[in-house]
Amino acid sequence: MKIEMTKEWCLRMAQREADAEIGAGLFALDPVFDGETSPVTEAGEEPHIAFGRFVHLMRRRRGLTLEKLAEDTDVEIAELVEIEDDSRHKPKLRTVYQLANYFQVPQTKLQQVAGLTVPRDSRLLEEAVRFAARSESVTSLTSEESAALEAFVAVLSEQK
Amino acid sequence: MTVTVSPIYLFDVQRGEAAAAELWDAITERQLADWEAEWLPELFSAVQRLHRAGVERRLWPQSRQWDWRRKVKVLQGLLAYPGFSIVCGGVTQGMMIVDTTKKRCRIDTQNGQHLVYVEFVENAPWNRPELVDPPRYRGVGSILIRAAIALSQEEEFKGRIGLHSLPQANGFYANTCGMTDLGVDPEYEGLRYFEMTPEQAEAFITKGNQP
Repeated sequence: MKIEMTKEWCLRMAQREADAEIGAGLFALDPVFDGETSPVTEAGEEPHIAFGRFVHLMRRRRGLTLEKLAEDTDVEIAELVEIEDDSRHKPKLRTVYQLANYFQVPQTKLQQVAGLTVPRDSRLLEEAVRFAARSESVTSLTSEESAALEAFVAVLSEQK
Repeated sequence: MTVTVSPIYLFDVQRGEAAAAELWDAITERQLADWEAEWLPELFSAVQRLHRAGVERRLWPQSRQWDWRRKVKVLQGLLAYPGFSIVCGGVTQGMMIVDTTKKRCRIDTQNGQHLVYVEFVENAPWNRPELVDPPRYRGVGSILIRAAIALSQEEEFKGRIGLHSLPQANGFYANTCGMTDLGVDPEYEGLRYFEMTPEQAEAFITKGNQP
């Protein structure tokens, strides 16, 4: 659809618009329709488990409550709870981005671990499974959990 | 997907001059890649700055939770939800998704008539004064509203459009666009609903033709 606008029209309206904000649309939610297919590529269960464990252990290692992590990353606390507790939960891309930034790991790899994209690196998948198997959800980090977490962060941070 | 590109201009604030740009009648993978690679990092940094400056959470950009890839995946698979985008300097500067079938006019004189409903519209973070001072480009909102009007005319809805404005944008739709403010809509998170009649659409276009 071709739309004709003169240069003068565009510039006059730009001046009238000035520095106004223009956002419109429901702000809290993204649209969901009945029968919606997942917006993400389906991936295996294991990396998904690893993602929840990863967030859980990284949070505990830093001594953060869920509330504090939610505040620091600007992620809804309900989504953090789902990430940590529900291995089938598919996180939002933005959430993975915020968490990757916060925990200082590459977002592309964390997306793969979260099941948002299909892992291109089979070793990452294996490491995610290994990590999930070695870590447990207990109150404080055991030395084994710390070691598992360190090893997994090292794999995530590897430069190819 | 066939994309039609219309030449347009934005105002480059720092240079104080016109910048040649493009209006696309679609949101493509390129726009989504820009959103991921350019918009999100900028938005994240901006929110961090607000957080560190002690700005209350309720004053942070209200669209920060939006996931354009999800919106496009859900809505644009349906023909009734076309999208538009603006590209300038090789990067996406604004995006909009509209609905051409489900909504009807609420203004008394237009009640029940078809309209183009703007589901979502957003400016790139670097064009938003609440995030960046000074913003990079001006004019994104006016051009996207003009595109919604043009689509409404092509659909024979005579330029009628409607939308729910984010609170910080109410002034733009009431004053610059000259739309009718129908008040808070409790069904839409308490957002204000604005509607444009055919006459208001004509007035909006005429406004840009007058020195």
